[in-house]
Amino acid sequence: MTTTHFSDETIVAYADGELEPDLRAALERQMEVDGGLADRVARLAESRVHAKAALAPLLNEPVPAALSANIAAMMEEAEQPSPDDDATVVSLTPRRRRNLSAGFARWDMPIAASVALVMGTAAGFLIATYWTETPPGLRVASLEQAGLVAALNTIPAGDESTIGAGDRFRAIATYRDADGALCREFEVDHTDASTVVAVACRPAAAWELQFAVVAGQNNDGYAPASSLESLDAYLTAVGAGEPLSPDDEKTVLDGLR
Amino acid sequence: MPDTFNQELVALLPNLRRFAIALCRSRDIADDLVQTTCEKALHARASYQPGTRLDAWLFRILRNSWIDQTRRQKTEGPRIDVADAHFLVGQDGESTTEARLALDSTAKAIATLPDDQREVLIMVCVEDLTYREAADVLSIPVGTIMSRLARARRKLVDQLGIDSPTKRSEDQKGLM
Repeated sequence: MTTTHFSDETIVAYADGELEPDLRAALERQMEVDGGLADRVARLAESRVHAKAALAPLLNEPVPAALSANIAAMMEEAEQPSPDDDATVVSLTPRRRRNLSAGFARWDMPIAASVALVMGTAAGFLIATYWTETPPGLRVASLEQAGLVAALNTIPAGDESTIGAGDRFRAIATYRDADGALCREFEVDHTDASTVVAVACRPAAAWELQFAVVAGQNNDGYAPASSLESLDAYLTAVGAGEPLSPDDEKTVLDGLR
Repeated sequence: MPDTFNQELVALLPNLRRFAIALCRSRDIADDLVQTTCEKALHARASYQPGTRLDAWLFRILRNSWIDQTRRQKTEGPRIDVADAHFLVGQDGESTTEARLALDSTAKAIATLPDDQREVLIMVCVEDLTYREAADVLSIPVGTIMSRLARARRKLVDQLGIDSPTKRSEDQKGLM
């Protein structure tokens, strides 16, 4: 009987299914007659199983909420064009006019709200910077504001928190749209006393701003009723479900962490 | 519009985090490293080839970021003492059953491997990369992967007294 010496390298490669066929055949032939070799193969193969099992618990550690929120924010940002890409902002004007003429004429009345109605995923392209000021005075809110995504992920409906440089975030309701995507209605009071009423949904791993109304000067916090009418029209249009109960909302938000 | 790249990236966060902890031995530093990795990945996503393993592509970005970082700081991590080799032990609050303690001692043994052996062991044995994929992550020949992996596995077998499965006693069967 010839006894070839097989190195640990060869044995490990064999155990991992990475050994070339000729060597594999030679090793298998010798294993049949060499119990010591078979034992080395078994132990080195087993070390892989041990290593994998030992590090499995690390996978069960929750990803820190701050890390997830930061990454979600980066993904939002990556979806958007650069802020100096004027074309995408300008294109909003004809879109808005169309919307107004198609049965939303009441918005044309002198209400204290300038309205940006944004539906579907095209929304992302309109949200280039935190506040975008276009010639007719149209303002579009952005999810890029510091702390906003984290607030969406954590603040239960009815609660408030301070985000960014003194802005107040207020969660209004949490529900699912007709496609089952998680949606949150919220308001942000800005330091210039304007209030944004907005809806963000999360069809996949990141929040997308679906709807935003910028209400006018308002010192008592909540947005004026006129802007809520447009919100109601929007919610009806997308088939929004009933708001989730506090318990259900908590379960869903915990799941985002 | 479903974005599978983003979805897959989010799904791989626990794996990225585990690999990062193994490299930098600290959860806090690892989380920063994972964030940097995701930022770079999002910017460089055009260079990812669909159909190849996204995790391997991300591991490469993560490891290169770590190398850059340590090179800049000119700090070679301290040699690991067995006493503080807890960084790979899971913190999921599982009870300290006998099986769990065995896993923890294996995690500590992996933690005390030299860095170059530990990263190869994790990519191949834990993340199931092929030798070729691991070699591409590290930009080294497959032969080097094989020798590092063999040394790492030999140490585990000797340190932990790993037995062949057929010889394993009854009370250890719950281990896997």
